[in-house]
Amino acid sequence: MGRKPQKNESLPGSLDMLILRTLSLRPLHGYGIIQFIQQSSGDELLVEEGSLYPALQRLELNGWIEGEWGVTANNRRARIYRITPAGRKQLAVETRNYARLTLAIARVMGAE
Amino acid sequence: MMLRRLKYWMESARRSEALREEMELHLAEKAAELEAGGMTPERARAEARRRFGNLGLKQEESREIWIARFWSELGQDLRYGLRTMAAGKAFSAVAVLSLALGIGANTAIYSLMESILLRSLPVADPESLVVLNWRSRAPQDADKEWVHVVHGVQGVLWPADDGVLETGMFPYGAFEMFREENPVFSTLFGYFDGRNKTLTVRGQATIASTEYVTGGYFRALAVSPAAGRLIGPEDDRAGAAPVAVLSFTASRQRFGEPWNAVGQSILVDNVPFTVIGVAPPEFFGVDPAAAPDLYLPLHANLLVDGARAARMYSDRNFYWIEMMGRLRPGVSLAQAQAALAPRFHRWVEATATTDGERARLPALVLNPGAAGLGSLRRRYARPLYLLLAMVGMILAIACANVANLLLARAAARRREMAVRLSLGAGRFRIVRQLLTESVMLASLGGAVGVLFAMWGMRLLTSLFARGQENFTLHAELNWKVLGVTAALSVACGLLFGLAPALKATRPDVMPDLKNRRGGGPRRRAQHVLAAAQVAFSFLILVAAGLFVRTLGNLHSVELGYARENILLFTLPARQAGHTETATLYEDLRKRFQAIPGVSSATYSNSSIIRAGQAGGAYRGAMRAGSVAIEGARVLAAGPRFLSTMQIPILAGREMDDRDQQGSTPVAVISERLARTYFGGENPVGRRITFVDENRDVEIIGVAGNVRYGGLRRESPMTVFAAASQAAPEQVTYALRTAGDPLQYVRSVHEIVREVDSRIPVTNVITQAAEIDRTISREITFAKLCTGFAVLALLMACVGIYGTMSYSVARQTGEIGTRMALGAQRGDVVWMVLRRALLLAAAGLAISLPAALAASQLIESFLFGTRPNDPATLALAAAILMGAAILAGYVPARRASRIDPLRALRHE
Repeated sequence: MGRKPQKNESLPGSLDMLILRTLSLRPLHGYGIIQFIQQSSGDELLVEEGSLYPALQRLELNGWIEGEWGVTANNRRARIYRITPAGRKQLAVETRNYARLTLAIARVMGAE
Repeated sequence: MMLRRLKYWMESARRSEALREEMELHLAEKAAELEAGGMTPERARAEARRRFGNLGLKQEESREIWIARFWSELGQDLRYGLRTMAAGKAFSAVAVLSLALGIGANTAIYSLMESILLRSLPVADPESLVVLNWRSRAPQDADKEWVHVVHGVQGVLWPADDGVLETGMFPYGAFEMFREENPVFSTLFGYFDGRNKTLTVRGQATIASTEYVTGGYFRALAVSPAAGRLIGPEDDRAGAAPVAVLSFTASRQRFGEPWNAVGQSILVDNVPFTVIGVAPPEFFGVDPAAAPDLYLPLHANLLVDGARAARMYSDRNFYWIEMMGRLRPGVSLAQAQAALAPRFHRWVEATATTDGERARLPALVLNPGAAGLGSLRRRYARPLYLLLAMVGMILAIACANVANLLLARAAARRREMAVRLSLGAGRFRIVRQLLTESVMLASLGGAVGVLFAMWGMRLLTSLFARGQENFTLHAELNWKVLGVTAALSVACGLLFGLAPALKATRPDVMPDLKNRRGGGPRRRAQHVLAAAQVAFSFLILVAAGLFVRTLGNLHSVELGYARENILLFTLPARQAGHTETATLYEDLRKRFQAIPGVSSATYSNSSIIRAGQAGGAYRGAMRAGSVAIEGARVLAAGPRFLSTMQIPILAGREMDDRDQQGSTPVAVISERLARTYFGGENPVGRRITFVDENRDVEIIGVAGNVRYGGLRRESPMTVFAAASQAAPEQVTYALRTAGDPLQYVRSVHEIVREVDSRIPVTNVITQAAEIDRTISREITFAKLCTGFAVLALLMACVGIYGTMSYSVARQTGEIGTRMALGAQRGDVVWMVLRRALLLAAAGLAISLPAALAASQLIESFLFGTRPNDPATLALAAAILMGAAILAGYVPARRASRIDPLRALRHE
């Protein structure tokens, strides 16, 4: 591990979006979500792993994801989360907002 | 609310556990991955922890999310519920009111039960108190001869149903035996009922109920005095200085303040005593049924009760003293029983004199004493359970009512629910919302119900207190009662709310978005509920009918003497110190008779209706010539007794002024006695022998039969013996008055004070009230049950009305079509009414077998009517059907007014 990956602190609330996005591809358990985010970001994003769990609770309470006991690829008992239709809508909203935000930032950064 | 919290905590525990497991798995997997990357297991684990962050904090954060969510949702639910309640004011009012009536009635009855059946004595550590009783076989032989070691008693024996004798009275010798080196009791104390004594304070005489107590009584109960000191062992000895303790109430009444009483001299039945102290206000002795005014040391009865008391201490076959003990720490009731029963057996065996007595020796039975003696429980347990069953049914009706209303409303809110569900609201979330609403309704009903209960308890206490001079029970709202009410409210809310909530959120709601008027099952549920209401109402109606009939029968019993316009009061002259009573009584009688408005005055040893309970004038054997007279009662009656009481004189004459102490002893006999023992002959001039008194009385007349000693019993054979020749201890005067008898009470008091202020005037009551007092339970039941029945009927009507209104509203289209096709208004009215009647009939059909079975349970409360009295059943059914027609008619009329055109356009 060469460069220390950057902690995801720049965009508060974006963890929710990352989780929803991850789960929109396939149901996963907690550790799986973390692994996926890190790998797909090319290890650029380092989520404080413990923060995942309050976020999962919050998403579940809002009815955006559902957790159920199941078995992981390693055959261990775990809560497997999947996204709900309401969660997909929420993901769409957040993606749009995120796109608007990054575009706005890019404009500011580009306007020299 | 409580239930929800509980559920929440259980859920949150489960959730925390899941969270912990998830986090552990996470750490394990991370560590495994790092290990695979070449780290040592220890380092891998540490690194996993480090990357995870603060484990405890994260757990806490996760939990907080849930808690905040819970409260915010609860707040939402409550606000939403309030809005809904406010939106349907009529609905909420009906629901809250019917629940309030149901919960209020239950709270009131329960509080009474709690005070009578469940509450402990207000003394220290009541749980360790034990009451000593004994049981033995029936004391009578086949030939009704009394064969038992009990040769005499001072008190009342309670023969149980199966003839078994059970009582708490013991000979003094047994008390001494138990007191010596008792291995299981830390203390043992005794007491016995001293009955009413004349208490004279500063020359003013009043009646005071008295309890004789042993020296250890107050100490063992750990009662501390409100003023002065209480009776101790040094006071309870033959020859000790005569001292007395007053109850708190009595000290206030007689001396103004408890402290004023201490050190004062009083007269008890004309014997001087010194008040040494006052008992605390909450203390009422060991029997919740009685609250003594005066406590005397046991041995003081030697002074007050005279010669017969002396025998009580030495006679080992004379049963009188009652006992309680305190268990030593660690000793169980069963151990105490096992230790003491053989000792008592050995002791009592030695007192038996014949084989017959030995065959039915008393066996010791220890009972828990925390609640004091059981006399109240014996008297009220069954009536109270019966009443509780009735109010329980009323609550069930109320719940059914509210459930019915909620079902109707759930239908009205189906669109709302469908929309919410389709927008992705969880079913559980909506059910929870609906349950919050119903629990809110129920809580409000409970709160209003407590108000009803406070009023109801006052009513109940006064109803139950009727006919008892010193009714000691005051039902009160305490935390226990309120807790039960709260639990009841919540349970009701969940009970009637759950089914409608589940139905409203059934997943197949989609058709409702299309706003169709249809749906069968919900109507069926409503119909079932309405029929159940009818069924419960019928049960209560039948009970009320039976009790009202019973009361009517009791009131129409042929008394054989006047009920109205008679004033009764009792003068215990002998207790007040008079030895020569006959002339005093006669002198007073003449004075009373001279009161303007009093047409005649007489006296007897007891009022007729209570005679026998208060002890007859003579109880021994009687003979007519050589024939023994069986089953006749003797009443000592003064001059003009028969004419004052308007008892018909069938032959001869009644007692009058001629019958003096020295003249020929005379008596009048009742017609039944004359017919039974003198056949067709005229008994006037014949004689009756009072064997035990060894004297003959001459029969001077025959009177009509009178209901003597209670309304329920057949008129027994009666001997009216001249009171002037029988010298009763106390007499009850009867004044025949013009107008309301009670307006003469003042004159009576004045006359008695003039003659001798030491004689108290007690038991002032009209004859009618005196008779009603003997049937107070029946009166209470008839009144309460009638009230309950009206309540139940009203609620059932609301139920039928609601169901019918709702179904008419749903069928507007159908009815419109029918009318468009030529149906007449009458047809439509009949269509709806028929359905209401069918509902009622279905309810009746369910209820009838239940009523037939249940009414057997109340048989012992009835008089002159059988449990399955067909007339009562028919009347109850008719009333219910009538009510159903009434409740169904309004919606039926509304249905008949439907405008076909508008209805069809709407469709």
